[in-house]
Amino acid sequence: MVEWGAPTPPSVRHAPAQPGRSSTSRFVQGSERGVYTLTESRPFRRIAVFGGVYSNAHALAATLADARGRDVDAVFCLGDLGAFGPHPDRVFPLLHDAGVRVIQGNYDQAIGLGHPDCGCGYTDPRDNHFARLSYAYTLSRTSTENRHRMAALPGHRRLTLGESRALLCHGSPRAISEFLWESTTPDGMVRRLLDHAEAELILCTHSGIKWHRRLVDGRHLVNVGVIGRPENDGTTRVWYTLLTAEPGRDLEVEFVPVAYDHETLAREMEAEALPPEFVQTVRTGWWTTCLEVLPARERARGRF
Amino acid sequence: MDTPAPAAHLTPPAAPFRHLTALWVQVTGTYCNLQCVHCINASGPRDPWLAPMDAEAVRGWVNEAAGLGVREIYFTGGEPFLHPEMLPLLEHALARAPTTVLTNGTLIDEPMADRLAALAVRARYSLELRVSLDDPDRERNDAIRGRGAFERALRAIRRLEARGLLPILTATEVESAPAGDGLYDRLRRLLLDAGVSRPRVKILPLFPVGRVAGHGGGMVTAEMLERIDPARLQCSDSRAVAAGGVYVCPILSGLPQARMHASSLAATLTPAPLSHPACLVCWRTGASCRNG
Repeated sequence: MVEWGAPTPPSVRHAPAQPGRSSTSRFVQGSERGVYTLTESRPFRRIAVFGGVYSNAHALAATLADARGRDVDAVFCLGDLGAFGPHPDRVFPLLHDAGVRVIQGNYDQAIGLGHPDCGCGYTDPRDNHFARLSYAYTLSRTSTENRHRMAALPGHRRLTLGESRALLCHGSPRAISEFLWESTTPDGMVRRLLDHAEAELILCTHSGIKWHRRLVDGRHLVNVGVIGRPENDGTTRVWYTLLTAEPGRDLEVEFVPVAYDHETLAREMEAEALPPEFVQTVRTGWWTTCLEVLPARERARGRF
Repeated sequence: MDTPAPAAHLTPPAAPFRHLTALWVQVTGTYCNLQCVHCINASGPRDPWLAPMDAEAVRGWVNEAAGLGVREIYFTGGEPFLHPEMLPLLEHALARAPTTVLTNGTLIDEPMADRLAALAVRARYSLELRVSLDDPDRERNDAIRGRGAFERALRAIRRLEARGLLPILTATEVESAPAGDGLYDRLRRLLLDAGVSRPRVKILPLFPVGRVAGHGGGMVTAEMLERIDPARLQCSDSRAVAAGGVYVCPILSGLPQARMHASSLAATLTPAPLSHPACLVCWRTGASCRNG
């Protein structure tokens, strides 16, 4: 049964797990400040998971409506509520009313804690120019109450899906801003991440393009994609992920396309004087900015 | 009177080691067909002070790194394409992890570009090619890298781009060039003007090592290290291998004082002292030799 509107059930808080980190320095990394893990108290059979809302309330509403018809036990969001789109406060009531269980993305951490930038670490001056515009807009338009909400989000969630132990994170289990692309995430690294996480399944987002890796030992890593902007494939749709664990069967991973009213979103972005390059992405499905982080293979699939 | 204890600031601090992200393979040692004035390891065509690597040893290091969960492999030198087994080594690495080759582009003729494109298509992971070019001005570039280097690098970039490989132009901010603000944009413009529709540019700072050793003074102190996120130092997540064993980072690869172990990569995944003036550049700039 779907728990729409139900509050997040009582969960167990764990101290932040930082494998391999020692504390020989007085520097406190942003991602370590206040980071905690929530553990879901009951097992799930089918869940819907998405990332990167990017202030796209239209895609969020369409995604939630779609998931509602698919008999899911719960819906999870892997962070980055703001950025890119208009009116950042509009996504919060939708998430709340649908009982979505959210974790913190690097954008939520930065906006919530008032960091000077989004923490994506671009070096390309053009990418940094657009990242700054987007960040300044989102920071100034997000209410204090919602900033506090973002700052208080858990960094990770743990749950049981069927018989699999799952770790939900934003970038990677070891760094909130680490991009996990399909072409640059080798099996050996996935194995190591799963070992450290003590999990059979890792769910992440952050990069903006969905993919799924099943290791020969039967463990999985799934980048669930984002719903805030198209995935550089020349279409306007966005994607979320359904994960189903039936007894005696391998985990089922299904990527679900979502069509939404992208033209209304584009007009709202124009009315808010957001960069035309962003609007172009919404209308065409091709990424126009922040391309620097793409590996050659993923970049070659796009137009720019 | 008691003997004073050694001053704490004279002991080089060490950044914590996190996890192995990048393995650098100095496959041709310091053997190169160019002799750039700023080369960090003083590579050149004559009498390389660091020998090229044995192919079987390279495969062994790559296998060990893959088992340790490495995220990416980098081939460097010298000029990697001077290694007689470079393409088989690249294929071996690409079956295990995304792999990048740092090249001056001089040996990427049409048949080689075809072979690289074929390799990239059938590889499990992403192949990246970084082509070095230091200044958008032909004369200034060739004064740094040698006569004809500009044209040959640009030609290689065009050949790779034409095959969808999207190379990354890599420049070093050389003191004699009008670098700093605007270098990125000028290099990007150079590529666009050359018909490269998806220009990719990476800029590295000048490191006081190799042919420019002694051009930077000072060392990182423990107090300085405490002021930054040590995770931004590449010695916290990268190691380099060359003839002679494992070294702390690609900048110091091959230097005896930077050697950490002769035969085991796993044994080097420990904090390493920031004991070279080049460490100050990493501390100051947060630069990484990696692609991103």
